[in-house]
Amino acid sequence: MKDPELTENLVARFLNGECSESELNELLAWAMQSNQHQKDLLDIKDIWDASLPDKQNTQNQLLYFYKSRYEKSTRAYLLFLRSVASIAALLLIGLLIRLTIYSNDPVNPANLQVFTVPLGSRSNVLLSDGTEVNLNSGSKLSYSNNFSKENRIVSLTGEAFFHVKSDSEHPFTVQTNDFDIRVNGTQFNVCSYREDIFSTATLSEGKINLKLNHSDRTQDVKPGEKFILDRKSKNFTLNTADVRQETAWKDGEFIFKNISFPDLIKRLERWYDVKLVVDDPRLIKYNYSGRFKNQETIWQVLDALKLTSPIDYKKTTFREFQLSYKVKLIN
Amino acid sequence: MTMTDFDTYFLKYHPILLLFTRKFIEDEQQALDLVQEVFIKFWEKGVVSQNEGQVKSFLFTSVKNNCLNYLKHQKVVRKFEQQFALRLKELEASYYLSGEKSLIEQEAMKKIEVAIDSLGDIYKEVIFLSRIEELKNSEIAEKLHIPVRTVETMIFRALSLLKEKISSKTILILINLNQLKK
Repeated sequence: MKDPELTENLVARFLNGECSESELNELLAWAMQSNQHQKDLLDIKDIWDASLPDKQNTQNQLLYFYKSRYEKSTRAYLLFLRSVASIAALLLIGLLIRLTIYSNDPVNPANLQVFTVPLGSRSNVLLSDGTEVNLNSGSKLSYSNNFSKENRIVSLTGEAFFHVKSDSEHPFTVQTNDFDIRVNGTQFNVCSYREDIFSTATLSEGKINLKLNHSDRTQDVKPGEKFILDRKSKNFTLNTADVRQETAWKDGEFIFKNISFPDLIKRLERWYDVKLVVDDPRLIKYNYSGRFKNQETIWQVLDALKLTSPIDYKKTTFREFQLSYKVKLIN
Repeated sequence: MTMTDFDTYFLKYHPILLLFTRKFIEDEQQALDLVQEVFIKFWEKGVVSQNEGQVKSFLFTSVKNNCLNYLKHQKVVRKFEQQFALRLKELEASYYLSGEKSLIEQEAMKKIEVAIDSLGDIYKEVIFLSRIEELKNSEIAEKLHIPVRTVETMIFRALSLLKEKISSKTILILINLNQLKK
């Protein structure tokens, strides 16, 4: 390596952990050439390492330390048995209290299978009856342990796309906070986040029957229709919908047509696990249309927004951005 | 040693020992375990009716030894993969074991922060994006609309500048001390 710039680039790649095995070999050879090289490399890496922000919770580590010490010492000394016994007694009392409190609960949580998808990611679940479920960011799917081909009931908060295995004898039921959906074999999208104003269901194939909670009203939904429920007033509408747009998220795409700004913000926050703070009411009145892929970073999305609308953004903390209104000068 | 003494040492040195360990051990859980082992040894030996300087040197030396042992073991376990990476890490660990003091051991992190702040904006941004945002070099390049090669060069230059700034400060302090002595 004669060119010093090549070495510089190599070192920079090494620091960020982006070197291939052969590049590492090259770097090692360079470092072994002289003590000065070695010192240069290690001093630079030292600054790099020391500038890493501290993320550890030391207090928790200390607790962990004491806990592991305690566990070790209880194994070693019989003397500790007495204190263990008293702690066990306390735990037992606590457990009994807990049991009495929760015994009214008809659903025993121990018999529940729960899938939770954190913000910023998506996931697939294949149920034992052959039904496929795509789960969007921040969603939770649960079903009881005796879920089977005959007993097909699941609960959902958040957004999911169901591809239900067809079985006309045994209907498949999706329970949400606002309505139950009963189907035989279809494909549909349900979006029912706790914090949203609307809960929706969009059908792509087959037929679904929707029953509102806390009332006897039912509604059939046909392919290409979107059922929109105002969660507060419990009023609903049926619109024709672009099914592809509604379900694009499961293929890692985000297509939106004429959605309101708060809606857009909420989706981006879930999708990227970030917090977007909007402090200017002027931004709220805009509607947005657009399309992008999930591989794009939040930076790229915000940059695109910045280019096409009077928005500027600024990073405030680790996962938080502040959006502000910026008058666009038209030349 | 009372429990309070131990707590004080733990709270003070655990974060920097972990940071130091991460120099050689990428896997965070592994690094946590290695540091934990050192504190167990510290606890059991009751090293510590000694002064803080001795405690600190015990902690750091033990951590360095632990890391080096771990790396040597890894070299045996992973016969062929990552040999060069491991050898580089080993080289580094031996460097600090031979008496060189890391900036982390000197507790000079605050100084680095100040030095980063005094860098030019573009260097500052690159360092921020790579260290705080943990972006890849290619992602930084895309974000700032510059070639990856330029990002790499900038990172290197920024660190070299930091190196100068930090060492010249130390020299400055030494000169001042000498003048005081006169």
